[in-house]
Order: sequence, then C-alpha cells, then structure tokens
Amino acid sequence: MPATTTPARPSQLSTALARDRLGVASVVFFVMSAAAPLTVVAGVVPTGLAVTGLTAISVAFLAVAVVLAIFAVGYVAMARHIANAGAFYAYVAQGLGRPFGVGAAWVALLAYNSFQLASYGGFGAIAAPLFADWFGVDLQWWTIALVAWALVAVLGVRDVAVNGKVLATLLVAEIILVAVFSVADLFAPTFEASAAPVDAGSLVGAGAGALLVMAVTGFVGFEQSVVFSEESRDPRRTVPRATYIAVALIAVLYAFSSWAMISAAGGQAVERAGTEGPELFFNLASDRLGGAALHLGHALFLTSLIAAMISFHNIIARYAFSLGREGVLPRAFGRTVPGTGAPKNGSLAQSALGLIAILVYAIMGWDPLVQLFFWGGTTGGIGVLLLITVTSVAVIGYFARNPSGEDAWHRLGAPAIGTVLLLVMTYLALTNIATLFGVEPGSEPTWVVPLAYGVLTVTGVGWALILRRTRPVVYEGIGLGARSAGTFSFSEATK
Amino acid sequence: MSSSQLPLADDLYLAAHDSARGRCLLTPATQGLGLAAALLAELVLWRRLDLRDNHVVVIDDQPTPDPATAAVLGQLLREPHHRRIRDWISFLATGVATDLVERRLARSGLVQRKEKRGLLGTKVRFVPADTSSAGWPGTRIRISATRGELLDTSDLVLTGLVLATGLDQHVLDTLEAHEREHLFDQLRRRLPPMLQHLVGHAEAAVGDAVMARRA
Repeated sequence: MPATTTPARPSQLSTALARDRLGVASVVFFVMSAAAPLTVVAGVVPTGLAVTGLTAISVAFLAVAVVLAIFAVGYVAMARHIANAGAFYAYVAQGLGRPFGVGAAWVALLAYNSFQLASYGGFGAIAAPLFADWFGVDLQWWTIALVAWALVAVLGVRDVAVNGKVLATLLVAEIILVAVFSVADLFAPTFEASAAPVDAGSLVGAGAGALLVMAVTGFVGFEQSVVFSEESRDPRRTVPRATYIAVALIAVLYAFSSWAMISAAGGQAVERAGTEGPELFFNLASDRLGGAALHLGHALFLTSLIAAMISFHNIIARYAFSLGREGVLPRAFGRTVPGTGAPKNGSLAQSALGLIAILVYAIMGWDPLVQLFFWGGTTGGIGVLLLITVTSVAVIGYFARNPSGEDAWHRLGAPAIGTVLLLVMTYLALTNIATLFGVEPGSEPTWVVPLAYGVLTVTGVGWALILRRTRPVVYEGIGLGARSAGTFSFSEATK
Repeated sequence: MSSSQLPLADDLYLAAHDSARGRCLLTPATQGLGLAAALLAELVLWRRLDLRDNHVVVIDDQPTPDPATAAVLGQLLREPHHRRIRDWISFLATGVATDLVERRLARSGLVQRKEKRGLLGTKVRFVPADTSSAGWPGTRIRISATRGELLDTSDLVLTGLVLATGLDQHVLDTLEAHEREHLFDQLRRRLPPMLQHLVGHAEAAVGDAVMARRA
C-alpha cells in the first residue's frame, strides 16, 4: 500500500538535502581558487610579455571573457541534463559520440597535467630568489619544486577537508592584493596611461592567437563550476550565475591589473618584463607601498601557486578516477583511500609524473620559468581551448537530439555563436604557436604541441572503438563517470 | 567463535571500524551512504519495500518491530512525493542513517557514547564498546570466503556494501584470488537483483561524492 494522503508540510527530505547544497558564493570561490589570480597577473602576464613581446593582453582578457560567457550558456545548460558534468569528456561523449569522448579525456589529461607541471616550474623559479632574500639560503629551483611537489602529493592522497576554507581566505587576500597593487601602479613615477593593452586591433593582427591563448590560460578553472550542478541550491540559477560572476570578476581583475602594470612601466613593459620577469608586477607597485606589502605580495604569490597546484592535482586525480570507474582506464584508478575519500591511484600517478618532469628539467638544465612554467601553462591553455571548442560543438549535438527542457537560445543560439568564435580562436592559436612560445616558426614546440594533442585524440578514439568491440558494457558507460552501468568493484564483481 | 549476526546496517557500521582503536575507516560521508543503503536493504529484507526502476515502492506500511527501520519507513510514508532511490540514499546519508544505527547499536550495548569537551562545546561520538566486536562482521565474511561457505542474503548485501564503500581494501585485502572469486560468484548468483541494484546505487553515490569533493 502506498502512503495515505499527508497534510501539506515542508518535506524533511527536501530540506535536509537543500541544507547541504551550495550557493553562488561557494561555487565562485571554488572556481576562482583554481584560476589562481595572482599566479596569472604576476606570473603569466609578465612572462608572456617577455616571451611574446605582445602588449594587448587586457583586451584579450576581455574578449576571451565574452566568448567564454557565450560558451557557458549552453555548457551550464547541458550540465543540468547529464551525469559526470564536471568533466569535458562527458559532454563530448554524449554530444559527439563516445569515441571522441575518450579522445577528449586524453586531451584533458595532458592539458591539466601541463598546468600542474607548469606550476612546479613556476614555484621553483619564483621561490628560489625569494628564499635567498628572506632566509639567505641559496637553493636550486628544483629543490624547492620538489618540496612543493611532496606537499601536493601528500595532500592529494589525504584530501584534507580544511583546505577549502584556507584556499578561500588566501584567494580573497590574493584578489585584494592584486587590486591594491594595481591601483598603486597608477601612482608609479613612470606611469603613463597606455592604449596598447586595450588595442582591439591587435586581436586581428599578427600574434592575436598567442594573446588569446595567454588569456584563456588565465581563465582555466572556470569550467569546474559545473562539478556542482547537482549539488547547487537552484540548478537553473546557482551554477550559471556563479560561472558568469567568476568569468566577469576574473576578466575585470586581469584586464585592469595588466593595463595598470603595462602603463606603469611607461612604454618599457616588454623590456622590463624580460629583465625582471615576475618581479615586474611587484617592483612597479612597491615604491608606493613599501617593503611589507612587497613581502606579503611575494608570500601570497607562492601560496597562489600552491593553490593552483592543489586544484589541478585534484582535477587530474578525479578525471583519472572517473575514467577508472568507467573502465576506460584501468579499474585501479577508480579506487579511493577509504579513510579520506581521495582518488588514490589517480593522485599517485599524477605525482609520479610530476616527479619525473621536475627531475628531467633539473637534469637537462632547462629553464623552469619559460620552458616549464610558461610553455607548460600555454600548452595547457591550448588544450583547454581545444576542449572548450569541441565541447561547444558537443552541446549543439546533444541538444539536437535531446531538445527538451531548454529554450532555443540555450540549445542552439548561444552554442552556435560560441562555436564559431571558438573555432576562430583555435585557428589563430594553432597558427601562432611560434609567437606564443617565442621560438622560430617551424621549430620543435610549434609542431610537437599540436601533434601531441592530435595523437592523443586519435588514440583515444581508437581505444574507444576497441572497447566497443571487446567490452561493450564499458563502452556504453563512457562519459557517465561514477554512474556508468559497468561501474566498479561491486558492479564489476556481479557482471 | 561466531558472534551472532546483527541487523545489516549495524554489521556494516562495525565492519567499518578498526578493531584496534575503534576508529572509523571511512569518511563520514562514505559511511553515511553505506549505512543509508544498508537501512533501505533492511526494509527490503523486512518485506516493506521493493525497488523498481530506480524508485522505491512501499509494499507494506506496517511498522517494523525495530525502531531504526521503523523510523525510515515512517519517513518514507510521510514523503510520498519522493521515491527516487538516490534521493533517499542522499537524504539518509546526511547523518540520519548514522544516527539511527549508532542509537540502535548503543541500545544493544555494542557502542558507547563518548563526550569530548572541546573549545567549541562538547562533541559526542560513538565508539565500539569492545574491540572484538568492531571489525568482526568483516572477519566473518573473510572467514566464510576462505572456507568456501555460502553467505546468507544479509551478509551478501554487506559484502556488496563493503565493496561499494571501498572498505574491501581493509576487509577483503588478504583474500586469495579464488576466495575472492567465490565471493563474487555468490554476489552474482545469489544476491537478489533488487538488492544488487541498491548496492549499485550506493556505489554510484560514493563515486559521485568523490567527484563533487564531498567524500
């Protein structure tokens, strides 16, 4: 017998579940701590100036923000309808077919790992002179990078719950610091308001693709808002609002601070970025703010890099976890540490890769700032740009087959405009890699990076087709993550 | 040497605590999801619930003699608009299931209430009353697997939930490959499809919690 009629009263079930759900602010915090504002403003922007010689970065941040906001319309709409919404490959699997989904998963693993490795290089290179200044110890960059690596590796398997609040506090401090330093730039003796950073003409000129990739790199992390699609208070509002707010905040902060920095350098931005590197951001503001602010800025710069490392490590470990649960990667990746809930083997594998990368760079004597931090970051930026572009197409594909529940703007209008803009950006990016990396056209990095992404896509598609033949249950579950029918130990045991 | 079998959720609770220090081996979130599924499975074993197409169906609204499952059944009857299994697992996992199971275990003297004064008020927690009862249900499954014995339905669900929560890394770690296969074979053949389904939902919920960083 089903239940008898009940008097209208608030459902305890709904109330209890709602209490655990996230509001806009929590999602914005989560997204922005992966974006690591200070790392971008003090790290990526000056290094980018030095390597590419391009100054129109403010307008690039604004342009990319507009494109990402348009992309986000369809992206967050699709997130409401699918399982495993946190991972790009889930969209691709359900919008363009499972084979491309696996291809996208491999691309995502390379892209996020590039960011992760980049942040080790950045941390080591930036911390080494600071440690010499603060403590009088002369350490190699890779020694410091290894310490950061060990910290991330331990936190990765322990999955410390407190880090949410710590990261939020650091993030607010970072944002305030970037704002204050940028305002101080306006009063620098060499300040002259420069039109170059906001020159929209540069977005169609030579080097446009390089600028756009640098800008995309600054936004990476925004795509993680959809992780909470099912956990948000109001699925139709919370995640979309949080995404737009995060993109807008990031855009305004980055555009203003890079304009202020370039202007404060008084026409010498590229030259000074070349000699001072990430110190440029701090040097320009410091004579107005004094030594204490400078030390605080440096300390937050380091914590910002660590926050970025932790975020990317967690993203990578969870990608591997999700793929392990589906059986696309070995099942072992679907294991967690029971006592912490951390995705154990995904985390360990990432740490192993990080260790190898740091050691190889150390042994080969490659430059940690340009060749690891900047090249790694922009390689990741290219990968994420590719993923966003393919996901945008996938959104159209998905809604063409499952149109219910969304209006035409969410299903088709915005995704179509977004796709066209993203395709243009991708084209510019791929043809500008030489400028982006500051190397000769035709030299190794210009073809290694696109080739790597291409090879990964093809092998991903191939692997999916093998799975379709040999393990149809696994194939069916591609993109469904923890909810795939062929999922994991218990279900595997009962198959 | 076999101590008697407890209600399924109580067995899972004790299996999730280590015998040396009485510490919980799972995160509170994962333990909550496991216990939530265990209580629903108890109601299936009491013949109060059926599970069809990802939904729960109340087939008998007679209260169960046991207060913990009676409370869950009462809640189900009060909320007829919510029938998705995953919603019920999520709801019971917010602390409801753990609370019900701890109180039931406390009534039978198997766990003790411990108060710990802290800076921000008093924290109450439950610890297994004696170290031999903690971990015992896991040992029981392990022994039965090594002897090649057959488990009853309740212990089969327990085995399923041990796998779904990742507790197998503690509980079933020492099994030989053929013993493990013997256990899995029983899950395939002898665990009723409805309960297989429920454990599958629990496993998916645990995975989703990891992805959403709630685990």
